[in-house]
Amino acid sequence: MRRLFPRGYGFTVLGIAVGMAGLVALGAMAERISRFIEGGDRFVLGQISVAGEGMGMGAGFTAGGLLTAARIAEIAKVPGVALVQPQVMLPINPSTSSFMTLTQELLMGMDPSAPQANRNYQTLPIRKGRSLAPGDRGVAVLGIDFAASHKLDVGGVLPMGALQFQVVGILDKTLTAPDRFAMVSLEDARDVWLRRDPLLFRVFGSGGLTRADLNSGAAVAWQDGVDPDDLARRIQDRVKGVNVTIPSELSEMLRTSTAFFSALLIGIGTLALVIGGLSLANTVTAAVFERIRDFGVKRALGATDAQLLREVLGEALGVSLWGVGLGVALALGIGYGVDSRAVREGQQLFFFSPRLLGFTFVFAMLLGSLAAAYATLRITRLSPAEAIRRGT
Amino acid sequence: MRVRASGLGKVYPGVDGAPPVRVLDGVSLDAEPGQVLAVIGESGSGKSTLLNLLGLLEPADAGEIRFDDAQVSHLGRRAQCRVRGTQIGYVFQAFLLLGSLTALDNVLLAARYVGRDRREAERDALTLMERLGVLHRRGHYPAQLSGGEQQRVAYCRAVLNRPPLLLADEPTGNLDDTHARVILDELGAQARERGATVILVTHRPDAAAAADASLRLAAGRLAGG
Repeated sequence: MRRLFPRGYGFTVLGIAVGMAGLVALGAMAERISRFIEGGDRFVLGQISVAGEGMGMGAGFTAGGLLTAARIAEIAKVPGVALVQPQVMLPINPSTSSFMTLTQELLMGMDPSAPQANRNYQTLPIRKGRSLAPGDRGVAVLGIDFAASHKLDVGGVLPMGALQFQVVGILDKTLTAPDRFAMVSLEDARDVWLRRDPLLFRVFGSGGLTRADLNSGAAVAWQDGVDPDDLARRIQDRVKGVNVTIPSELSEMLRTSTAFFSALLIGIGTLALVIGGLSLANTVTAAVFERIRDFGVKRALGATDAQLLREVLGEALGVSLWGVGLGVALALGIGYGVDSRAVREGQQLFFFSPRLLGFTFVFAMLLGSLAAAYATLRITRLSPAEAIRRGT
Repeated sequence: MRVRASGLGKVYPGVDGAPPVRVLDGVSLDAEPGQVLAVIGESGSGKSTLLNLLGLLEPADAGEIRFDDAQVSHLGRRAQCRVRGTQIGYVFQAFLLLGSLTALDNVLLAARYVGRDRREAERDALTLMERLGVLHRRGHYPAQLSGGEQQRVAYCRAVLNRPPLLLADEPTGNLDDTHARVILDELGAQARERGATVILVTHRPDAAAAADASLRLAAGRLAGG
């Protein structure tokens, strides 16, 4: 290791490492936000979401608009519909706002025996334990952030009012909404809903509703070749008493509501590039100029401009590689350190994606080489004697 | 190698509005192969500048330099690099070793830019270092060497490629008498034993006296020798 380290470049490597750590850490925060927004977008574009009439999508899907079995049957008959998946989605904490469904913890009730309607989330990968299975009752599969914030693991018990659910599985990280889901069977979710909503309980008790009517919404899948926006409009026209979201419009709505985060993301990314880039370019250039005397000596010994440039580029690449390697390690250390605390609250602030790390390495190598080449070309304009004089 | 210079002139531009400084003015010299030529003079008389021009370390503003029959002072950059690497060896007062390289690698630096086979060059370097008594220091960095050791390493670097011209700018200026004697004897031996032309800038009367010829500079002009 000692032999591989470019001797005399300790402070240069350190300088680059600090700049690159900043770039990677800020980039990882931007990646985290970006993945969250992308995940939500992918979700809404993968299905047509239908809720009971009178409620907006944000509220209706999670807070009460009933979608009865009769309505679901009507939706299934609309040409172009491949399948309808009834769902019950409730906020875990009913007192919290149900506006931002992407950021709150949700109880998700679904029928594990039915195929998934969402084209982009056909399966959710399991990190520990197992998925929900047909016939499951009284068990839950938790999103990874949900599990962390409630300090639950496979075998643990999730209380939900008077009901209790045994945790049988933990989902893998998705970096988007499912990370904060508690998934139970549709029947269990209906039970939770009935116990939570006295009005609903009274209506149900009077015989006005069956259990099959207790759905907060449904995910609708379309047949191959069908335009999902057209189908959504068709459902809205043909089925009365439902609130249908147009996938592209919901996506647009999500993008608009997350515009601030997108702008923040661009700002963070730009800041990271400028800070990291300037730091690296300045450090490499300074390191080359610091060796101006050595260049004079080498030219006195017969080095041509091309030979010097080759040498300097080689050194700059080596130094940049060490610097970026240390910087990435530093950022990973800080990121994982911070996230290990944040995860207790079910949060994750950093996401060190392969594309971020790859970009950082390529960016550092390119910029390091350019800075070194610029400095070398400046120095080779000097005569060897002048370079030696200036460096002595 | 016969080294001839005629009418060499060098002017440094003035800084911050100061008038230009004429450092050399019409200096000519002729040094034969196997000859040790001492250049003497007061500080600021232009001795080091003359050596820099002869070593193609900076361009002359006037005059020309010939190595044997070849005019070298007006060669292109690449050709001058080749001449510097293959035909000239430099010994500097400040040693000018590279701090990031070991003593051996500093010596081998002379071979790197002229395309010499590294193994053959290393064999020569080790032989030279043994002769100069610094072989045991080959793995050390310049900062770990004494001044005398550094100059001997720098000397090994200067002669590694057996250049026909050796230029030494106050090579003993930072050394005690014992170490100075070693370097001066070695330079003399290069001239005697293999016919190298040695041009030596020195303040030491004994070094000047031991040279085959000397020339004195005063205010950038030849003052006789």
